[in-house]
Amino acid sequence: MMSLIGRGTIVIALRDLQRFWKYRWWLAGLISMNLTDLFIFALIFNNIVNRSYIPDYFRFIAPGIAAIAIFASAFSIGREVGVEVRRQYTQYLLTLPITRLQLAAGRIIGGSVRGLIYQIPFIALLFIIEGVPPSWKIPYLLATSVLLTIAMSGLSITISTAVRSFDLQATMRSFTYFLLFFFSNVFYPDKLIREYLPYPLYQLMVNNPVSLAAGVYRWVFTDNLFVDIDPQLSIIKIAVISVVITLIGGKLYLRNLTS
Amino acid sequence: MGNPDSLLGAMRQLYLVILWDIRKIARYRFFLLMRFSWFIIQVSIFAVLISSLVAVRRGFTEFNYYQFYLFGVYTSILFSIALFRGYEIAEEFEEGIIEYQLSLPIKRKILAIGRSIGGGIASFIYTLPMFAFVVFMLGVYNVVAILISMFGALLFSIGVVGLAASIVLFAKSGDVTDILFGIIDALLLRLSTIFYPAVVLSVFQPYYYAAIVNPLSHITDLIRVFFFFEDFRYITISDPLSMAMYILGFSIGLSSLTILLIEKKVEGGGWK
Repeated sequence: MMSLIGRGTIVIALRDLQRFWKYRWWLAGLISMNLTDLFIFALIFNNIVNRSYIPDYFRFIAPGIAAIAIFASAFSIGREVGVEVRRQYTQYLLTLPITRLQLAAGRIIGGSVRGLIYQIPFIALLFIIEGVPPSWKIPYLLATSVLLTIAMSGLSITISTAVRSFDLQATMRSFTYFLLFFFSNVFYPDKLIREYLPYPLYQLMVNNPVSLAAGVYRWVFTDNLFVDIDPQLSIIKIAVISVVITLIGGKLYLRNLTS
Repeated sequence: MGNPDSLLGAMRQLYLVILWDIRKIARYRFFLLMRFSWFIIQVSIFAVLISSLVAVRRGFTEFNYYQFYLFGVYTSILFSIALFRGYEIAEEFEEGIIEYQLSLPIKRKILAIGRSIGGGIASFIYTLPMFAFVVFMLGVYNVVAILISMFGALLFSIGVVGLAASIVLFAKSGDVTDILFGIIDALLLRLSTIFYPAVVLSVFQPYYYAAIVNPLSHITDLIRVFFFFEDFRYITISDPLSMAMYILGFSIGLSSLTILLIEKKVEGGGWK
C-alpha cells in the first residue's frame, strides 16, 4: 500500500495538476461545450417538453450536465496520456525512479483531481439554478463527485492508451462520451426509460455511473421532485464501479505503456 | 500526369487527388463501426425517448417529432463525419503527408479543390448506410426526394470538409484543432433546427438568428421538405429555394476559402 501511495504517486499527480493549467483554452472550450447543452439545448427544449413528465426541463437537466462535465475534464488526462503514448514520451516516464504502479496511480489521481476542479463551476451553477441544498446533503454531493471522477479518469486512461492514432483516440473519446450520455438519465427521467425501453436496457441505463451520479445530484438539490432514489445505494454502486474501472484502467495503462 | 497546364492534365490531377481521399474509406472500418453504433443509439434510444417527452404546444401544426428528428440525426452525423476529416488532415500534418502533397507537381488550387471534394464524397459515402436506414424507417421511397436529398447532402459535406481543412491549415496545431472542432460541433448542432423546429427557436431571438445563418439548419430543413413537404414546409428556417441556394453557396464559399489558404498561406512544417 505504501508503495502505491508513495512519494512517486504524489509527484506524478502534482505534475499532472500543474499541467492542467497549460490547457486553459482547451478547458474553456470544454466548459463552453457543456454549457451549450444547458443554456441552449435545455432552455429551448423546455418549451416543447411534456410537463407531466418533467415540470421544468432546465432544472432537470442541470444536475445531469454537472455529472457528465466530469467526464470531459477527467478525459483531459486521457488525452494527454494518449499524446504521450503516440509520441513515445512514455519511454521517458518509464525511466523515472518510481514504480510503474505509482505512475499509474499518480495518473489516475491527477485526472480525478482535475475532474473535481473542473466540476466546481458546474456545482456552483447548480447552487444558483437549484438553490442551496441542506448542509447534511453536502457529503453525498462530495462523495459522488470524488467517486465519479476516479471512475472517469480510469476510463479515459484506458481508452486513450488502447489506440495510438490521433483520429482514433478522438473517435473513441466521443463514442464513449455519447454512450455514457445517451445511455443515461441525463436527458430523460427514469420513469420514461422504464416505460419505453425493455427492462434489461432500463437497468443498464439507470446503473450507468453518470445516471447514478445525476440521480444523487438531483436528490441533493431538488429532493424528490425529479427522482425517487436511495442515495446511499447509488453511492455504493458508483464506488463499486469506480473500483472496478480503476483496477482495469491501471492494469491496461501499465500494459499499454510497455507494449 | 500529362501536361499539368492543360485542362485535361488539370482534370486528371483533380481526379487523382479526389481518388486519394476516397480510397482511404476502406481503412476506416473501425471509425465507421463506431459512428454507425452512435447513430443506432441515437435513433433507437435517444430519439425514441426524447420524442415521447415532446408535447406540441403554442398552437404549432402537429408534427411527428420522431420523423422530424430522424432527418436531424442524419445531418448531424454527416456534419460530424465531414468535420472529422479535419482530424485526419491534422494527422497527415503530423505524419508529414501534407508536406509530401505540397511537394507534388500538382497546382495548389487543384489540391485544395480535390481534398474538399474527395473528403466530401468520402464523408458522404460513410453516411450512406445511415441515410438508407432513415429512408427505411420513414418508409418513403420517393426516388426524386432521395436523389436530390443525396445531392444536397453531398454539397453540404464538401462545404464542411472545406471548413475543417481551413481550420486545420490555419491553426496548424493538434490542440487548437481539437478544441475548435469541439466548440464548432457543440454550437452548430445546438443552434440549428436539428433538435427543434425554427418556430420554437424563435422564442429566443439570438438563438433564432444564429440558426438562420447556420448551414446545418438549412440542410436539415431542406431534406425534411424534400421528403415531407406538406408536414414540414411551415416550420422550416426558410423557403426551399433559399435553403438550396444557401447550401450551394456554403459549399462553394468554403471550398474557395480552402483554395485561398492553401495557395497563399500554407507552408510545410510548423505543426504544433
